[in-house]
Amino acid sequence: MSGAAVRNGGSVRSMVRSPFVLMVGAVLTWFIAAFLVWPNLNVLIATFFPDGSFSGRAAEKLFSSQRAMKSLGNSFLLALALSITVNVVGIFIVLVTHYFKIRGSRILFLGYATTFIYGGIVLAAGYKFIYGDKGIVTSLLLTVFPGMDPAWFSGFFAVLVVMTFATTTNHMLFVGNALKGVDYQTIEAARNLGASTWTILRRVVLPMLKPTLFAVTILSFLTGLGALSAPQVLGGREFQTITPMILTFANSPTSRDLAALLAVILGVSTILMLAVMSRFEKRGTYYSLSKVSSALQKQQISSPVANAAVHTVAYLLFALYTLPVVLIVLYSFADGAAIQTGQISPGSLTLDNYVRVLTQESGLRPFVISVVYSALATVIAVGGLLLVARLLQKYRNWVASVFEYLLHIPWILPSALLALGLIISYDHPNPLVGGAVLTGTTVILLIAFVTVKIPFTLRMLKASFASVNSSMEEAAAIMGAKTLYVFRRILLPIVLPAAAAIAALNFNSMLDDYDTAIFLAHPLVQPLGLVIKANTDGAEGVEGVANTFVYTVLLMVITGLTMYLVYGRSSRRRAGRKNSAAGASPDPATSPALVAAGTEPAAPVR
Amino acid sequence: MIRLDNIEVSFGDFTAIPHLDLHVKPGEFFTLLGPSGCGKTTALRTLAGFIEPSRGAVHVDGKNVTRLPSDKRQVGMVFQNYALFPSMSVWENIAFGLRVRKEKSAESDRLVRDIARRVELSDEQLHKNVAELSGGQQQRVAVARALVLRPKILLLDEPLSNLDAKLRHQLRQQLKDLQSEFGITTVYVTHDQDEALAMSDRVAVFNKGVIEQVGTPQEIYDQAATEFVCNFIGDSSPLTSEFVAELNRLSGAGLSPGANSYLRVEKASLTPPLDGGRAVGLPGTVASRTYHGLHSRYVVRSHGTDVRLLVLEDGNVQPEVGAETTLYVQPGHVLQYHPGTGAALAKQDQAVALP
Repeated sequence: MSGAAVRNGGSVRSMVRSPFVLMVGAVLTWFIAAFLVWPNLNVLIATFFPDGSFSGRAAEKLFSSQRAMKSLGNSFLLALALSITVNVVGIFIVLVTHYFKIRGSRILFLGYATTFIYGGIVLAAGYKFIYGDKGIVTSLLLTVFPGMDPAWFSGFFAVLVVMTFATTTNHMLFVGNALKGVDYQTIEAARNLGASTWTILRRVVLPMLKPTLFAVTILSFLTGLGALSAPQVLGGREFQTITPMILTFANSPTSRDLAALLAVILGVSTILMLAVMSRFEKRGTYYSLSKVSSALQKQQISSPVANAAVHTVAYLLFALYTLPVVLIVLYSFADGAAIQTGQISPGSLTLDNYVRVLTQESGLRPFVISVVYSALATVIAVGGLLLVARLLQKYRNWVASVFEYLLHIPWILPSALLALGLIISYDHPNPLVGGAVLTGTTVILLIAFVTVKIPFTLRMLKASFASVNSSMEEAAAIMGAKTLYVFRRILLPIVLPAAAAIAALNFNSMLDDYDTAIFLAHPLVQPLGLVIKANTDGAEGVEGVANTFVYTVLLMVITGLTMYLVYGRSSRRRAGRKNSAAGASPDPATSPALVAAGTEPAAPVR
Repeated sequence: MIRLDNIEVSFGDFTAIPHLDLHVKPGEFFTLLGPSGCGKTTALRTLAGFIEPSRGAVHVDGKNVTRLPSDKRQVGMVFQNYALFPSMSVWENIAFGLRVRKEKSAESDRLVRDIARRVELSDEQLHKNVAELSGGQQQRVAVARALVLRPKILLLDEPLSNLDAKLRHQLRQQLKDLQSEFGITTVYVTHDQDEALAMSDRVAVFNKGVIEQVGTPQEIYDQAATEFVCNFIGDSSPLTSEFVAELNRLSGAGLSPGANSYLRVEKASLTPPLDGGRAVGLPGTVASRTYHGLHSRYVVRSHGTDVRLLVLEDGNVQPEVGAETTLYVQPGHVLQYHPGTGAALAKQDQAVALP
């Protein structure tokens, strides 16, 4: 904090003296009370105090419900299994793209990075349309092996496979980045001391990545625990997990307490895991010891057998990663018959699907709904938090800290719990929102979208305000500029590019949202994620499948473009000063803790 | 002990070292000195086995190691930033090479403790994390880690370059002491001439991938073999041919007026040498004086030359700017180089001053 701001007083007294601060504070207090604190508190009340006094009935119901208990077990099983599989695949793909000398590693990288541009329900739907019982690949396989089980790709195995591939995005982002920060001289030193390629990897490189690996493991665990769309689409009857159960129970008033209890269990587990993670992140990061670290050079695998094996596995994985994308793009141009049989010929490729989606009202509608919701939520979140972030950055006192902690509530709670809280708090007239009923209206989803995006947006905006050279503000103040004028003319133009990037990432991640919408969407105003899910159940027949392919391609184009604009160009600019970035402070944009719990650029399958 | 024969190193189209011959004697502290980008680190890395030369041979202790990987050459290396493994304790860092060799754990522990004692690391420090150590302690860990494997030679790649000035001076002495205690043949890379002169038995001065001169610190300072070495090491004033001709006239020395001539700043004086010596006096005017406390730097203009010199501030009255003074120079101290090749001219008979 600058000296000037301290002199002006970052104190509570100076805060309450400013009418501007009081106004923002009042709005903020209402928002936090109505949408962050009360709904979640209400879930606890509904669970343990359904009639005003303490009751263990929800717990009894849970223990006696075989389905619910099974789903709990399944969730933890999935979370554990996912923590292992994601690490195995994730570490492998990071090593072959960043650490080892592999032929065509740039192509491999692009293949593995496809999960950056499609995730969530879209990815789950994509895998079902390809490997599911009526899927393209399954149809083709059936013509070769008529005896095989068409539903081979379902249940625990299918959910685990899909979520594994979807979640390696975190490894690509964080582990890849941590690996780039490893000082190459330590590798040379180890080699000089006689260590083999394998020993160097095991004893020197991987231990340095341990804190990051630990963080991404927890993220994978949480992703598995809160999984929603993948078990719903691919789990079948025998493999259901907590979040789909919450959804089922929440829909009937008699079992709502059960839904609430499950949501509480999910929430407590999430908080515990995040607490452990942030503790480890704080004390466990190995900063490079020196100012002059040298950039990593790729390692040759000396054994020809191992080298061939690694190449083979790398390209097999590449095929697994890219096949869905290639097929979705290809079949988005195909006609219904081709989609049903899997047989495709050059003649059957047309633009008909795109014309239908983009011109017919029923095809275009979900897309427009999603765009409008995402745009509104983005504008409200980024616009509102611009002021809040500035004030939190300027005033450092206990009141500001309390506000900041409260605004992070959505970061530590799973979205199913947040959604459930909103439903049970606003299904009757509530004085907090002027006596209105929100459940079942179009507003409630917008509120949920805004709240979910608060923590990520706030942290990023605060970081960009903090990076503004405070002398500029002081210079403007000395020339007589008032607070708002300084904000408008000096600060805003500086943070605007960052704000635009944050807005773009937020917009992207809400476009294909499923987890929040499934709880809260208006029955007649269904966003894209819900329509895609409905299509996986065969609701709209082959045409629905074709529409989903078109949606997916459009989403991939939009996401890819945004990712390129936000990350692609800035990383190239950053490459010039890689030495300074090597070990110093962790980049806010690449810290795993920041991206936890549904705030990732492209949400993984849940 | 170390022989580099006819080494050529290229990276793609770029030839970093066109031709290098070098011979380091057993037990010697040998320094590769030069400006950044001169090829000294490339030479060291070639010796270490991190770079394969496109031509030539590397011999360590009479054995050709040109094609051997780094760990089979029996060379220990201390890196520019020490390259300590941040995920391991001090003990684990030092024991790393022993464990890779599958040394018995009791034996490893004995060797680690033994070397730690010799570099003055306490048992308590052995169990610390490397990040908790000071710069000097980290350096000792890096040296211990290299020496515990009993290498035949020790390579040091600018180990003092990322430290502040005071610590650098302190560690310089510490490194030199360690080297003399272990008596190990050491090759040291630096761009700091002060370091090179103070620590080395012999120095090789590099420029653009070529060795300009190999010699003891005194040789390269007093008898710089090329104009580059003369300019890179120490501080000297270029002399005009008019000045050189005047020196010849006064002393009868056979200096060549057409050559590029230099005079070290500490070799010119405003007072006649005590022994009367071979110095001749030239009239001059004080053009500037900068006070440094311990000494003052003077520029004295004489026969078209601005001669820079140092005067000790010992309390005596010194001439002010504008004053007429006499400049004492020994013709034998003038360094002369061929204007085309930059090579030193053979010293002529160092004549005594004419009466």
